[in-house]
Amino acid sequence: MTTRTIIVTGAGGVGKTTISAALAATLAAAGHKTLVLTIDPAKRLADALGIDHLGDKPQPVEGTGNMWAAMLDVSASWEAIIYRYAEPEVGDRLLVNPYFRAIADRFPAAQSYAAGERMAEYIESHQYDFLVVDTPPSGGGIDFFTAPAHTGDLVSGKLLKWLTGSHIPGRSFLFRFTAKPMLKIADTVLGGPMLSDVADFLLDLSTMYTSLSARSRTIERYLQQATTLIATTADPTPIHETKRFFRELGGISIQPTGIIFNRALPLSWIDAAPKPIRGVADPDLRARARVNLAMWATEAQRQADASAELSSRYGAVMYQIGLISPAPTSIEDLRAMIEETNLLEELTEES
Amino acid sequence: MVSTRLIFITGKGGTGKSAVAAAIAIARARQGESVLAIDMATSPGLAAHLGSRPLTYQPTEMRDGLFAMTIDRAAALDEYLKMQLHVPRGAPTKQIAAALSVLAETAPGVREIISIGKPLHETWKGIWDSVVVDASSLGQFQSYMRAPQTIAQLVPTGVVRRQASDMDETLSDPKIASVIIVSNPAELPVIETLEAVDVLTTERLGPPPSVIMNRVIDTSGIDGSRLEELPEGPVREAASLQTHLEDDQAKWLDEIDFRISLPYLAGVFTPQGVSLQLSDVIGAVL
Repeated sequence: MTTRTIIVTGAGGVGKTTISAALAATLAAAGHKTLVLTIDPAKRLADALGIDHLGDKPQPVEGTGNMWAAMLDVSASWEAIIYRYAEPEVGDRLLVNPYFRAIADRFPAAQSYAAGERMAEYIESHQYDFLVVDTPPSGGGIDFFTAPAHTGDLVSGKLLKWLTGSHIPGRSFLFRFTAKPMLKIADTVLGGPMLSDVADFLLDLSTMYTSLSARSRTIERYLQQATTLIATTADPTPIHETKRFFRELGGISIQPTGIIFNRALPLSWIDAAPKPIRGVADPDLRARARVNLAMWATEAQRQADASAELSSRYGAVMYQIGLISPAPTSIEDLRAMIEETNLLEELTEES
Repeated sequence: MVSTRLIFITGKGGTGKSAVAAAIAIARARQGESVLAIDMATSPGLAAHLGSRPLTYQPTEMRDGLFAMTIDRAAALDEYLKMQLHVPRGAPTKQIAAALSVLAETAPGVREIISIGKPLHETWKGIWDSVVVDASSLGQFQSYMRAPQTIAQLVPTGVVRRQASDMDETLSDPKIASVIIVSNPAELPVIETLEAVDVLTTERLGPPPSVIMNRVIDTSGIDGSRLEELPEGPVREAASLQTHLEDDQAKWLDEIDFRISLPYLAGVFTPQGVSLQLSDVIGAVL
């Protein structure tokens, strides 16, 4: 079957992980076999998904019929990538190399690249009607979309070329290379012998270049075909990040489909705030309730303004999800989040 | 004798660490200090909260006594080589710079050492009363703080190694350095903050961190069991939301010790508006 992919992105702390799970639960309840690929869910959400013991192998979520969940495991993903694209003996050497560990753990886009690779695999498994992808927070979420293009920086041997000033050299070149006087001096000054180790490592990595580049282009194509939803709240930083998403995603031919405005307050509170409260006997309770509504009404007004600005600037469809306290903990809670929007209709509409 | 205070502000994404960093910088400058605010994060958060255009590597004066800059890695590398490593005269500086660039992209700790070298260098200059660093998210910050030790394991001798030891000494001196983790009274921020406090303390990465709790909503004094007495519609809905938020917040505030509590600012539109209001609260505590 053909899998339709929905990517939920946005600034940190806006509720991407919860929204992704909620979308998946809603699609599954409507009869679509749906997998959510989640990243670092809060404990309560993980419990709701039964995800405690879960790695990147999809597991059915109890009591949902058609919903499956998987959690991104960056280390395992990189291992899989290495063995898929490198010669076995090169793979063995890379995985025990201390520089590789450092890069895989720290390369800012590593998590994003691993997530993209996983997304591609799930799409190609043809097991699901829908795949909902939660995006890693690095680079404000934008890394997930740019990581495939940047894979080259990691493995192209660009660094190696820069260091040696030549094309990607063969292994035998290393002997001449590390004997270069300027590297000797550099090693002495810096406290080597690090450079030869590093060069050795980069050589191994560069053997993966051709196959990884081809793969990156496939992942980019999936990203362009997916439905991309940007989650935000009314806070200044997420709004700022949302604008950045529109600017930068446009540059890589990805058109966000809509904005999910999370933790929204009802607009009716704005009009209600100045009106007198009737029928409350206790004057103290009445006064407190009035002050409270007035405070939340200013928040609602701020949201209305922010939401209006985003929709007029980008002409994007806006989906409002209300502020819920305490945070949703059950599959029913998650579905209720989406029920108030028309997201289900929009996402399942036959294209 | 250095009398500069070096203050790192870190926190989970979305908790408002850039706003708090800007607020601390503004509050200290208002009290007559000469302050340098440094953006080490990748997002443009600090600039927005100081009401400025994108920051440059060159410190720019934002207001009386407050300068701000961002870490540009190429410039930081250049300065690290010249000012900190004291690469010997006659050495092939260009090649060493190229070699170090490659190392910075590859070897653990080198990039971090170069980035964190800048705030330390500014601290050692002794010209600022405070250097306020908007450091990255919790995980990234830990690798910055770990960098000197990582280098010490990787490099047996040489200037990089010596430089790393000096850095470690300053970073772990409680008379100079302090670490503030910004958190929010909600599940994920509190749990991640507790985990970070644990890692920083156990690994002795810098002096023991303190926590600033941001976005704490004021209590309304509405009794959650009396919601039925309120008329249906917005009045009761808002009261119900508020009391639920208060309950949830109380639970998470209970889980963690914090030094300062900063209010949730309802209806504030701009990043600068947020940091100015927070700076008033912080100014009163300092």
